Amino acid sequence: MSRQNFNERFMFSHTILNQIYIDGESLKRYLELLKVLVMRNLKVRYRGSFLGVYWSLLNPLMMTVVYTAIFGTTFAEYYDNSTLNYVLAAFTGLVVTNFYSASTSQALASIVGNGSLLNKIKLPLSVFPTSMIAANSFQFLVGTFPLLSIISLLTSHNILNILGLLLITLDLGLVCMGIGFFVSTLYIYFRDLPYFYEIVCFMVWISSPVFYPAAIVPDNIKTILLLNPLTSIIEALRELSLSGSFPSTLTLGKAFLSGFLAMSLGWFFFQSQKDNMMDLV
Amino acid sequence: MDEVIRLDNVSLWRRTQEEFSYDLKKTVLSMFEGKYQKSSKRLVIKDLSFSIQKGEKVGIIGANGAGKSTLLKLICGILKPSQGVIRVKGTISPLIELGAGFDADLSVIDNIIMYGVMLGFSEQDIKQRINSILEFAELQEYALAPVKALSSGMVARLGFSIATDVKPDILILDEVLSVGDESFRQKSKIKMDEFWNAHATILVVSHSMEFISQSCDKVLFLKKGSVVFYGSTKDAIHTYISSLSSQVESVEE
Repeated sequence: MSRQNFNERFMFSHTILNQIYIDGESLKRYLELLKVLVMRNLKVRYRGSFLGVYWSLLNPLMMTVVYTAIFGTTFAEYYDNSTLNYVLAAFTGLVVTNFYSASTSQALASIVGNGSLLNKIKLPLSVFPTSMIAANSFQFLVGTFPLLSIISLLTSHNILNILGLLLITLDLGLVCMGIGFFVSTLYIYFRDLPYFYEIVCFMVWISSPVFYPAAIVPDNIKTILLLNPLTSIIEALRELSLSGSFPSTLTLGKAFLSGFLAMSLGWFFFQSQKDNMMDLV
Repeated sequence: MDEVIRLDNVSLWRRTQEEFSYDLKKTVLSMFEGKYQKSSKRLVIKDLSFSIQKGEKVGIIGANGAGKSTLLKLICGILKPSQGVIRVKGTISPLIELGAGFDADLSVIDNIIMYGVMLGFSEQDIKQRINSILEFAELQEYALAPVKALSSGMVARLGFSIATDVKPDILILDEVLSVGDESFRQKSKIKMDEFWNAHATILVVSHSMEFISQSCDKVLFLKKGSVVFYGSTKDAIHTYISSLSSQVESVEE
Protein backbone atom coordinates (compact mmCIF):
# COMPACT_ATOMS: atom_id res chain seq x y z
CA MET A 1 0.00 0.00 0.00
CA SER A 2 1.57 3.31 -1.01
CA ARG A 3 2.01 6.04 1.58
CA GLN A 4 -0.59 8.17 -0.11
CA ASN A 5 -3.16 5.39 0.07
CA PHE A 6 -2.45 4.87 3.71
CA ASN A 7 -2.85 8.57 4.50
CA GLU A 8 -6.10 8.72 2.56
CA ARG A 9 -7.52 5.76 4.40
CA PHE A 10 -6.47 7.13 7.77
CA MET A 11 -8.01 10.52 7.01
CA PHE A 12 -11.16 8.88 5.78
CA SER A 13 -11.71 6.87 8.95
CA HIS A 14 -10.73 9.86 11.08
CA THR A 15 -13.31 12.09 9.46
CA ILE A 16 -15.94 9.36 9.70
CA LEU A 17 -15.37 9.26 13.45
CA ASN A 18 -15.92 12.98 13.61
CA GLN A 19 -19.02 12.71 11.46
CA ILE A 20 -20.84 10.47 13.90
CA TYR A 21 -23.11 12.75 15.87
CA ILE A 22 -24.59 12.07 19.27
CA ASP A 23 -27.15 14.62 20.37
CA GLY A 24 -25.71 17.30 18.12
CA GLU A 25 -22.05 16.90 18.99
CA SER A 26 -19.37 15.06 17.06
CA LEU A 27 -18.21 11.79 18.60
CA LYS A 28 -14.77 13.14 19.51
CA ARG A 29 -16.19 16.11 21.41
CA TYR A 30 -18.81 13.92 23.10
CA LEU A 31 -16.14 11.52 24.33
CA GLU A 32 -13.96 14.36 25.60
CA LEU A 33 -16.90 15.86 27.48
CA LEU A 34 -17.66 12.43 28.91
CA LYS A 35 -14.07 11.99 30.05
CA VAL A 36 -13.94 15.40 31.69
CA LEU A 37 -17.22 14.83 33.53
CA VAL A 38 -16.21 11.36 34.72
CA MET A 39 -12.93 12.74 36.07
CA ARG A 40 -14.77 15.52 37.87
CA ASN A 41 -17.16 13.01 39.40
CA LEU A 42 -14.45 10.66 40.65
CA LYS A 43 -12.06 13.35 41.82
CA VAL A 44 -14.70 15.16 43.83
CA ARG A 45 -16.13 12.01 45.35
CA TYR A 46 -12.83 10.53 46.44
CA ARG A 47 -11.06 13.73 47.36
CA GLY A 48 -8.76 12.95 50.27
CA SER A 49 -10.04 9.39 50.41
CA PHE A 50 -7.52 6.66 51.11
CA LEU A 51 -9.18 3.74 49.36
CA GLY A 52 -10.96 5.83 46.74
CA VAL A 53 -12.57 3.75 44.04
CA TYR A 54 -11.82 0.54 45.95
CA TRP A 55 -14.68 1.22 48.35
CA SER A 56 -17.00 -0.03 45.64
CA LEU A 57 -15.26 -3.40 46.03
CA LEU A 58 -14.85 -3.37 49.79
CA ASN A 59 -18.54 -2.78 50.40
CA PRO A 60 -19.82 -6.01 48.76
CA LEU A 61 -16.94 -7.97 50.28
CA MET A 62 -17.85 -6.92 53.80
CA MET A 63 -21.57 -7.44 53.21
CA THR A 64 -20.86 -10.93 51.90
CA VAL A 65 -19.04 -11.75 55.12
CA VAL A 66 -22.05 -10.56 57.13
CA TYR A 67 -24.56 -12.53 55.05
CA THR A 68 -22.46 -15.68 55.22
CA ALA A 69 -22.18 -15.36 58.96
CA ILE A 70 -25.95 -14.99 59.38
CA PHE A 71 -27.50 -17.02 56.55
CA GLY A 72 -24.66 -19.33 55.52
CA THR A 73 -25.66 -22.34 57.58
CA THR A 74 -29.43 -22.01 57.00
CA PHE A 75 -29.15 -22.06 53.23
CA ALA A 76 -26.20 -24.42 53.07
CA GLU A 77 -28.21 -27.32 51.66
CA TYR A 78 -29.18 -25.29 48.57
CA TYR A 79 -25.54 -24.71 47.76
CA ASP A 80 -24.34 -28.32 47.93
CA ASN A 81 -23.36 -27.69 51.53
CA SER A 82 -20.46 -25.57 50.38
CA THR A 83 -19.98 -22.23 52.14
CA LEU A 84 -17.73 -21.14 49.30
CA ASN A 85 -20.62 -21.50 46.88
CA TYR A 86 -22.82 -19.37 49.10
CA VAL A 87 -20.08 -16.76 49.41
CA LEU A 88 -19.63 -16.56 45.65
CA ALA A 89 -23.36 -16.47 45.01
CA ALA A 90 -23.89 -13.67 47.52
CA PHE A 91 -20.87 -11.70 46.30
CA THR A 92 -21.82 -11.82 42.63
CA GLY A 93 -25.39 -10.84 43.40
CA LEU A 94 -24.28 -7.94 45.61
CA VAL A 95 -21.79 -6.62 43.09
CA VAL A 96 -24.50 -6.38 40.42
CA THR A 97 -27.20 -4.83 42.63
CA ASN A 98 -24.76 -2.34 44.14
CA PHE A 99 -23.62 -1.23 40.71
CA TYR A 100 -27.22 -0.88 39.60
CA SER A 101 -28.33 1.14 42.66
CA ALA A 102 -25.32 3.47 42.64
CA SER A 103 -25.18 4.19 38.92
CA THR A 104 -28.91 4.71 38.36
CA SER A 105 -29.37 6.83 41.50
CA GLN A 106 -26.50 9.07 40.45
CA ALA A 107 -27.80 9.26 36.89
CA LEU A 108 -31.22 10.21 38.27
CA ALA A 109 -29.93 13.46 39.74
CA SER A 110 -27.42 14.20 37.00
CA ILE A 111 -29.41 16.44 34.66
CA VAL A 112 -31.26 18.45 37.30
CA GLY A 113 -28.12 18.74 39.40
CA ASN A 114 -26.27 20.38 36.53
CA GLY A 115 -29.15 22.73 35.76
CA SER A 116 -27.21 25.94 36.38
CA LEU A 117 -24.47 24.76 34.04
CA LEU A 118 -26.91 23.78 31.31
CA ASN A 119 -28.48 27.22 31.38
CA LYS A 120 -25.19 28.92 30.66
CA ILE A 121 -23.23 26.64 28.29
CA LYS A 122 -24.46 24.62 25.36
CA LEU A 123 -24.00 20.95 26.26
CA PRO A 124 -25.66 17.73 25.06
CA LEU A 125 -28.10 16.67 27.79
CA SER A 126 -27.49 12.95 27.36
CA VAL A 127 -23.85 13.23 28.39
CA PHE A 128 -24.78 13.69 32.06
CA PRO A 129 -26.52 10.41 32.86
CA THR A 130 -24.02 8.65 30.59
CA SER A 131 -21.12 10.09 32.58
CA MET A 132 -22.55 8.67 35.81
CA ILE A 133 -22.78 5.18 34.36
CA ALA A 134 -19.31 5.60 32.90
CA ALA A 135 -17.82 6.69 36.24
CA ASN A 136 -19.32 3.69 38.02
CA SER A 137 -18.17 1.40 35.22
CA PHE A 138 -14.64 2.70 35.61
CA GLN A 139 -14.77 1.94 39.34
CA PHE A 140 -16.09 -1.52 38.56
CA LEU A 141 -13.42 -2.29 35.98
CA VAL A 142 -10.63 -1.15 38.25
CA GLY A 143 -11.89 -2.71 41.48
CA THR A 144 -14.36 -5.54 41.17
CA PHE A 145 -13.61 -6.85 37.66
CA PRO A 146 -10.04 -8.01 38.44
CA LEU A 147 -11.30 -9.92 41.49
CA LEU A 148 -14.07 -11.58 39.49
CA SER A 149 -11.54 -12.50 36.78
CA ILE A 150 -9.30 -14.15 39.34
CA ILE A 151 -12.24 -16.10 40.76
CA SER A 152 -13.35 -17.33 37.36
CA LEU A 153 -9.78 -18.23 36.39
CA LEU A 154 -9.40 -20.22 39.59
CA THR A 155 -12.64 -22.12 39.00
CA SER A 156 -12.33 -22.72 35.29
CA HIS A 157 -8.68 -22.25 34.28
CA ASN A 158 -10.08 -20.84 31.07
CA ILE A 159 -9.06 -17.41 29.85
CA LEU A 160 -12.04 -17.21 27.50
CA ASN A 161 -14.28 -16.72 30.50
CA ILE A 162 -12.84 -13.25 30.96
CA LEU A 163 -14.48 -12.41 27.65
CA GLY A 164 -17.69 -13.67 29.14
CA LEU A 165 -17.19 -11.38 32.12
CA LEU A 166 -16.67 -8.44 29.78
CA LEU A 167 -19.87 -9.24 27.93
CA ILE A 168 -21.82 -9.38 31.18
CA THR A 169 -20.31 -6.08 32.33
CA LEU A 170 -21.28 -4.51 29.02
CA ASP A 171 -24.80 -5.78 29.39
CA LEU A 172 -25.07 -4.47 32.94
CA GLY A 173 -23.91 -1.10 31.67
CA LEU A 174 -26.61 -1.17 29.00
CA VAL A 175 -29.38 -1.92 31.49
CA CYS A 176 -28.23 0.79 33.87
CA MET A 177 -27.83 3.36 31.09
CA GLY A 178 -31.35 2.71 29.87
CA ILE A 179 -32.79 3.00 33.36
CA GLY A 180 -30.54 6.02 33.98
CA PHE A 181 -31.94 7.87 30.97
CA PHE A 182 -35.45 7.03 32.07
CA VAL A 183 -35.17 8.21 35.69
CA SER A 184 -33.08 11.29 34.90
CA THR A 185 -35.83 12.45 32.52
CA LEU A 186 -38.59 11.61 34.99
CA TYR A 187 -36.87 13.49 37.81
CA ILE A 188 -37.17 16.72 35.87
CA TYR A 189 -40.94 16.47 36.11
CA PHE A 190 -41.35 14.71 39.43
CA ARG A 191 -39.01 16.00 42.11
CA ASP A 192 -40.21 13.39 44.60
CA LEU A 193 -38.61 10.65 42.55
CA PRO A 194 -35.46 10.08 44.69
CA TYR A 195 -37.55 8.99 47.70
CA PHE A 196 -39.59 6.66 45.60
CA TYR A 197 -36.52 5.37 43.79
CA GLU A 198 -34.83 4.43 47.05
CA ILE A 199 -37.68 1.98 47.60
CA VAL A 200 -37.42 0.71 44.03
CA CYS A 201 -33.73 -0.05 44.52
CA PHE A 202 -34.52 -1.90 47.72
CA MET A 203 -37.17 -3.96 45.93
CA VAL A 204 -34.76 -4.79 43.14
CA TRP A 205 -32.21 -5.91 45.69
CA ILE A 206 -34.68 -7.98 47.64
CA SER A 207 -36.13 -9.65 44.55
CA SER A 208 -32.73 -10.55 43.10
CA PRO A 209 -31.65 -13.77 44.78
CA VAL A 210 -28.64 -12.17 46.46
CA PHE A 211 -28.44 -13.50 49.97
CA TYR A 212 -31.03 -16.28 49.56
CA PRO A 213 -31.26 -19.05 46.97
CA ALA A 214 -33.87 -18.65 44.23
CA ALA A 215 -35.24 -22.10 45.11
CA ILE A 216 -36.94 -20.98 48.33
CA VAL A 217 -39.22 -18.54 46.53
CA PRO A 218 -42.81 -19.84 46.20
CA ASP A 219 -43.84 -20.50 42.60
CA ASN A 220 -46.48 -17.79 42.32
CA ILE A 221 -43.98 -15.14 43.42
CA LYS A 222 -41.29 -16.49 41.11
CA THR A 223 -43.03 -15.14 38.03
CA ILE A 224 -43.00 -11.63 39.50
CA LEU A 225 -39.28 -11.95 40.15
CA LEU A 226 -38.75 -12.51 36.45
CA LEU A 227 -39.61 -8.84 35.93
CA ASN A 228 -36.32 -7.90 37.56
CA PRO A 229 -33.89 -6.97 34.75
CA LEU A 230 -30.91 -7.89 36.86
CA THR A 231 -31.87 -11.52 37.48
CA SER A 232 -30.56 -12.79 34.14
CA ILE A 233 -27.33 -10.83 34.54
CA ILE A 234 -26.73 -12.25 38.03
CA GLU A 235 -27.50 -15.73 36.72
CA ALA A 236 -24.96 -15.37 33.94
CA LEU A 237 -22.35 -14.03 36.33
CA ARG A 238 -22.90 -16.94 38.70
CA GLU A 239 -22.67 -19.52 35.94
CA LEU A 240 -19.29 -18.07 35.08
CA SER A 241 -17.80 -17.84 38.51
CA LEU A 242 -19.40 -20.84 40.26
CA SER A 243 -19.51 -23.53 37.64
CA GLY A 244 -16.58 -22.25 35.62
CA SER A 245 -18.31 -22.61 32.29
CA PHE A 246 -18.94 -19.88 29.77
CA PRO A 247 -22.56 -18.83 30.30
CA SER A 248 -25.01 -20.64 28.06
CA THR A 249 -26.42 -18.90 25.02
CA LEU A 250 -29.85 -18.90 26.62
CA THR A 251 -28.69 -17.06 29.72
CA LEU A 252 -26.65 -14.59 27.70
CA GLY A 253 -29.53 -14.13 25.34
CA LYS A 254 -31.94 -13.33 28.17
CA ALA A 255 -29.42 -10.96 29.70
CA PHE A 256 -28.83 -9.05 26.49
CA LEU A 257 -32.53 -8.95 25.76
CA SER A 258 -33.23 -7.10 28.99
CA GLY A 259 -30.22 -4.89 28.23
CA PHE A 260 -31.41 -3.82 24.81
CA LEU A 261 -34.99 -3.40 26.02
CA ALA A 262 -33.98 -1.17 28.92
CA MET A 263 -31.66 0.84 26.70
CA SER A 264 -34.21 1.41 23.92
CA LEU A 265 -37.06 2.34 26.26
CA GLY A 266 -34.88 4.69 28.29
CA TRP A 267 -33.26 6.32 25.27
CA PHE A 268 -36.55 6.88 23.45
CA PHE A 269 -38.23 8.34 26.51
CA PHE A 270 -35.26 10.68 26.98
CA GLN A 271 -35.27 11.78 23.34
CA SER A 272 -39.01 12.41 23.38
CA GLN A 273 -38.71 14.80 26.35
CA LYS A 274 -35.37 16.35 25.46
CA ASP A 275 -36.76 19.53 23.94
CA ASN A 276 -38.95 20.29 26.95
CA MET A 277 -36.22 19.92 29.50
CA MET A 278 -34.54 23.33 29.24
CA ASP A 279 -37.59 25.11 30.62
CA LEU A 280 -37.64 23.08 33.79
CA VAL A 281 -34.02 22.45 34.56
CA MET B 1 -20.56 41.18 3.02
CA ASP B 2 -21.82 37.95 4.34
CA GLU B 3 -24.30 37.27 7.08
CA VAL B 4 -23.00 35.42 10.08
CA ILE B 5 -26.14 35.48 12.20
CA ARG B 6 -29.63 35.46 10.80
CA LEU B 7 -32.97 35.16 12.57
CA ASP B 8 -36.18 34.65 10.62
CA ASN B 9 -39.49 34.98 12.45
CA VAL B 10 -38.07 33.50 15.60
CA SER B 11 -40.46 33.06 18.51
CA LEU B 12 -39.95 31.32 21.82
CA TRP B 13 -42.50 30.05 24.27
CA ARG B 14 -41.35 29.14 27.73
CA ARG B 15 -43.09 27.41 30.56
CA THR B 16 -43.97 29.62 33.49
CA GLN B 17 -42.30 27.73 36.27
CA GLU B 18 -44.39 28.96 39.19
CA GLU B 19 -47.52 27.16 38.15
CA PHE B 20 -45.98 23.82 37.46
CA SER B 21 -45.99 21.42 40.36
CA TYR B 22 -43.03 19.15 40.52
CA ASP B 23 -44.58 16.79 43.01
CA LEU B 24 -45.62 13.40 41.84
CA LYS B 25 -48.26 13.36 44.53
CA LYS B 26 -49.77 16.72 43.60
CA THR B 27 -49.89 15.92 39.91
CA VAL B 28 -51.50 12.52 40.44
CA LEU B 29 -54.06 13.91 42.87
CA SER B 30 -54.95 16.76 40.55
CA MET B 31 -55.37 14.27 37.73
CA PHE B 32 -57.84 12.31 39.85
CA GLU B 33 -59.73 15.43 40.81
CA GLY B 34 -60.10 16.30 37.14
CA LYS B 35 -58.33 19.62 37.65
CA TYR B 36 -55.19 18.71 35.73
CA GLN B 37 -54.17 21.49 33.35
CA LYS B 38 -51.42 21.52 30.83
CA SER B 39 -48.77 23.93 32.01
CA SER B 40 -49.14 27.44 30.67
CA LYS B 41 -46.49 28.99 28.51
CA ARG B 42 -45.42 32.58 28.03
CA LEU B 43 -44.29 34.14 24.78
CA VAL B 44 -40.81 35.36 25.59
CA ILE B 45 -39.41 36.22 22.16
CA LYS B 46 -41.91 37.55 19.62
CA ASP B 47 -41.30 37.07 15.93
CA LEU B 48 -37.74 38.39 15.72
CA SER B 49 -36.13 38.83 12.33
CA PHE B 50 -32.78 40.44 11.80
CA SER B 51 -29.34 39.66 10.49
CA ILE B 52 -25.81 40.53 11.47
CA GLN B 53 -22.97 40.83 8.97
CA LYS B 54 -19.44 39.61 9.46
CA GLY B 55 -17.29 42.00 11.45
CA GLU B 56 -20.15 44.08 12.82
CA LYS B 57 -20.17 45.10 16.45
CA VAL B 58 -23.76 44.99 17.63
CA GLY B 59 -25.03 46.12 21.00
CA ILE B 60 -28.26 44.82 22.53
CA ILE B 61 -30.11 47.08 24.91
CA GLY B 62 -33.41 47.01 26.69
CA ALA B 63 -35.01 46.92 30.11
CA ASN B 64 -34.51 43.99 32.45
CA GLY B 65 -36.67 41.11 31.29
CA ALA B 66 -36.85 42.34 27.71
CA GLY B 67 -35.35 39.11 26.45
CA LYS B 68 -31.72 40.10 25.84
CA SER B 69 -30.11 37.16 27.61
CA THR B 70 -32.73 34.84 26.19
CA LEU B 71 -31.86 36.05 22.71
CA LEU B 72 -28.18 35.37 23.37
CA LYS B 73 -29.01 31.89 24.60
CA LEU B 74 -31.00 31.24 21.43
CA ILE B 75 -28.09 32.35 19.26
CA CYS B 76 -25.64 30.20 21.26
CA GLY B 77 -27.85 27.18 20.87
CA ILE B 78 -28.62 26.75 24.58
CA LEU B 79 -32.34 27.23 23.83
CA LYS B 80 -34.20 26.14 20.71
CA PRO B 81 -36.76 28.46 19.10
CA SER B 82 -40.40 27.34 19.13
CA GLN B 83 -40.88 28.85 15.69
CA GLY B 84 -38.65 30.32 13.05
CA VAL B 85 -35.10 29.64 12.02
CA ILE B 86 -31.78 30.76 13.45
CA ARG B 87 -28.73 30.51 11.23
CA VAL B 88 -25.23 31.01 12.59
CA LYS B 89 -22.03 30.74 10.60
CA GLY B 90 -18.72 30.38 12.41
CA THR B 91 -17.39 29.50 15.85
CA ILE B 92 -19.08 31.17 18.80
CA SER B 93 -17.36 32.06 22.04
CA PRO B 94 -20.03 32.84 24.63
CA LEU B 95 -18.99 34.97 27.59
CA ILE B 96 -22.19 34.51 29.57
CA GLU B 97 -21.66 34.42 33.32
CA LEU B 98 -18.04 33.42 33.41
CA GLY B 99 -17.15 30.62 35.75
CA ALA B 100 -20.55 28.95 35.66
CA GLY B 101 -18.89 25.66 34.84
CA PHE B 102 -16.36 25.70 37.67
CA ASP B 103 -16.47 23.04 40.34
CA ALA B 104 -15.42 24.54 43.66
CA ASP B 105 -13.74 21.36 44.92
CA LEU B 106 -11.47 20.79 41.95
CA SER B 107 -8.08 22.45 41.45
CA VAL B 108 -7.69 25.43 39.17
CA ILE B 109 -5.91 23.39 36.50
CA ASP B 110 -8.61 20.69 36.53
CA ASN B 111 -11.21 23.40 36.21
CA ILE B 112 -9.40 25.01 33.29
CA ILE B 113 -9.43 21.69 31.45
CA MET B 114 -13.07 20.99 32.27
CA TYR B 115 -14.33 24.49 31.49
CA GLY B 116 -12.24 24.62 28.33
CA VAL B 117 -13.65 21.35 27.01
CA MET B 118 -17.19 22.49 27.83
CA LEU B 119 -16.63 25.74 25.95
CA GLY B 120 -15.56 23.78 22.90
CA PHE B 121 -11.78 23.47 23.03
CA SER B 122 -10.29 20.06 22.38
CA GLU B 123 -8.59 18.55 25.42
CA GLN B 124 -5.16 18.66 23.85
CA ASP B 125 -5.68 22.28 22.88
CA ILE B 126 -6.72 23.49 26.31
CA LYS B 127 -3.88 21.61 28.00
CA GLN B 128 -1.38 23.51 25.87
CA ARG B 129 -3.00 26.80 26.81
CA ILE B 130 -2.98 26.27 30.59
CA ASN B 131 0.16 28.29 31.16
CA SER B 132 -0.86 31.26 29.06
CA ILE B 133 -4.27 31.29 30.77
CA LEU B 134 -2.74 31.22 34.27
CA GLU B 135 -0.37 33.99 33.26
CA PHE B 136 -3.09 36.26 31.92
CA ALA B 137 -5.25 35.70 34.99
CA GLU B 138 -2.21 36.12 37.28
CA LEU B 139 -3.07 32.92 39.11
CA GLN B 140 0.15 30.93 38.63
CA GLU B 141 0.57 30.36 42.38
CA TYR B 142 -2.96 29.02 42.68
CA ALA B 143 -2.61 26.41 39.95
CA LEU B 144 -3.18 23.45 42.28
CA ALA B 145 -5.45 25.15 44.78
CA PRO B 146 -9.16 24.26 44.80
CA VAL B 147 -11.34 26.93 43.24
CA LYS B 148 -13.22 27.46 46.51
CA ALA B 149 -10.03 29.04 47.86
CA LEU B 150 -10.17 31.82 45.26
CA SER B 151 -11.93 35.13 45.71
CA SER B 152 -14.85 35.94 43.41
CA GLY B 153 -12.68 38.39 41.50
CA MET B 154 -10.10 35.70 40.87
CA VAL B 155 -12.76 33.31 39.67
CA ALA B 156 -14.11 35.90 37.25
CA ARG B 157 -10.59 36.61 35.99
CA LEU B 158 -10.02 32.92 35.45
CA GLY B 159 -13.28 32.52 33.53
CA PHE B 160 -12.48 35.54 31.41
CA SER B 161 -8.98 34.27 30.62
CA ILE B 162 -10.18 30.87 29.54
CA ALA B 163 -12.99 32.15 27.38
CA THR B 164 -10.90 34.78 25.62
CA ASP B 165 -7.91 32.58 24.88
CA VAL B 166 -9.26 31.94 21.39
CA LYS B 167 -9.89 33.86 18.25
CA PRO B 168 -13.54 33.07 17.65
CA ASP B 169 -15.55 34.20 14.64
CA ILE B 170 -18.38 35.40 16.84
CA LEU B 171 -17.98 36.72 20.37
CA ILE B 172 -20.98 37.09 22.64
CA LEU B 173 -20.68 39.21 25.78
CA ASP B 174 -23.34 39.39 28.44
CA GLU B 175 -22.46 42.22 30.81
CA VAL B 176 -19.13 40.68 31.77
CA LEU B 177 -16.59 43.36 31.22
CA SER B 178 -16.35 44.92 34.66
CA VAL B 179 -14.35 42.37 36.63
CA GLY B 180 -11.11 42.54 38.50
CA ASP B 181 -8.92 45.30 39.82
CA GLU B 182 -7.64 48.23 37.76
CA SER B 183 -4.61 46.44 36.29
CA PHE B 184 -6.72 43.50 35.20
CA ARG B 185 -9.32 45.79 33.73
CA GLN B 186 -6.64 47.40 31.64
CA LYS B 187 -5.43 44.00 30.45
CA SER B 188 -8.93 42.91 29.57
CA LYS B 189 -9.56 46.16 27.75
CA ILE B 190 -6.46 45.48 25.63
CA LYS B 191 -7.75 41.97 24.94
CA MET B 192 -11.17 43.29 24.01
CA ASP B 193 -9.58 45.88 21.71
CA GLU B 194 -7.74 43.03 19.99
CA PHE B 195 -11.07 41.35 19.33
CA TRP B 196 -12.58 44.59 18.16
CA ASN B 197 -9.80 45.16 15.68
CA ALA B 198 -9.63 41.58 14.49
CA HIS B 199 -12.84 41.73 12.46
CA ALA B 200 -14.59 39.34 14.76
CA THR B 201 -18.35 39.72 14.92
CA ILE B 202 -19.35 40.85 18.38
CA LEU B 203 -22.65 40.92 20.22
CA VAL B 204 -22.71 42.84 23.49
CA VAL B 205 -25.46 43.12 26.04
CA SER B 206 -24.93 46.07 28.29
CA HIS B 207 -26.74 48.61 30.38
CA SER B 208 -23.97 51.16 29.99
CA MET B 209 -24.99 53.48 27.15
CA GLU B 210 -21.53 55.02 27.29
CA PHE B 211 -19.85 51.72 26.53
CA ILE B 212 -22.31 50.90 23.79
CA SER B 213 -22.00 54.22 22.03
CA GLN B 214 -18.18 53.95 22.14
CA SER B 215 -17.88 50.39 20.91
CA CYS B 216 -20.83 49.38 18.74
CA ASP B 217 -21.71 50.15 15.13
CA LYS B 218 -25.33 49.08 15.42
CA VAL B 219 -27.71 48.55 18.26
CA LEU B 220 -30.71 46.30 18.74
CA PHE B 221 -33.29 47.68 21.15
CA LEU B 222 -35.54 45.00 22.62
CA LYS B 223 -38.73 45.50 24.57
CA LYS B 224 -40.77 42.60 25.97
CA GLY B 225 -39.36 40.19 23.40
CA SER B 226 -39.84 42.26 20.26
CA VAL B 227 -37.52 44.48 18.27
CA VAL B 228 -38.32 48.14 18.81
CA PHE B 229 -35.40 49.44 16.80
CA TYR B 230 -32.43 48.03 14.95
CA GLY B 231 -30.08 50.49 13.42
CA SER B 232 -27.41 53.05 14.11
CA THR B 233 -26.09 53.33 17.64
CA LYS B 234 -27.03 56.98 18.09
CA ASP B 235 -30.65 56.55 16.97
CA ALA B 236 -31.19 53.39 18.95
CA ILE B 237 -29.89 54.88 22.18
CA HIS B 238 -31.99 57.97 21.57
CA THR B 239 -35.11 55.80 21.11
CA TYR B 240 -34.30 53.85 24.28
CA ILE B 241 -33.79 56.94 26.41
CA SER B 242 -36.93 58.64 25.14
CA SER B 243 -38.95 55.52 25.87
CA LEU B 244 -37.61 55.59 29.42
CA SER B 245 -38.54 59.21 29.97
CA SER B 246 -42.06 58.64 28.60
CA GLN B 247 -42.38 55.83 31.14
CA VAL B 248 -41.32 58.16 33.91
CA GLU B 249 -43.87 60.74 32.72
CA SER B 250 -46.70 58.21 32.78
CA VAL B 251 -45.73 57.19 36.30
CA GLU B 252 -45.70 60.79 37.47
CA GLU B 253 -49.20 61.33 36.10
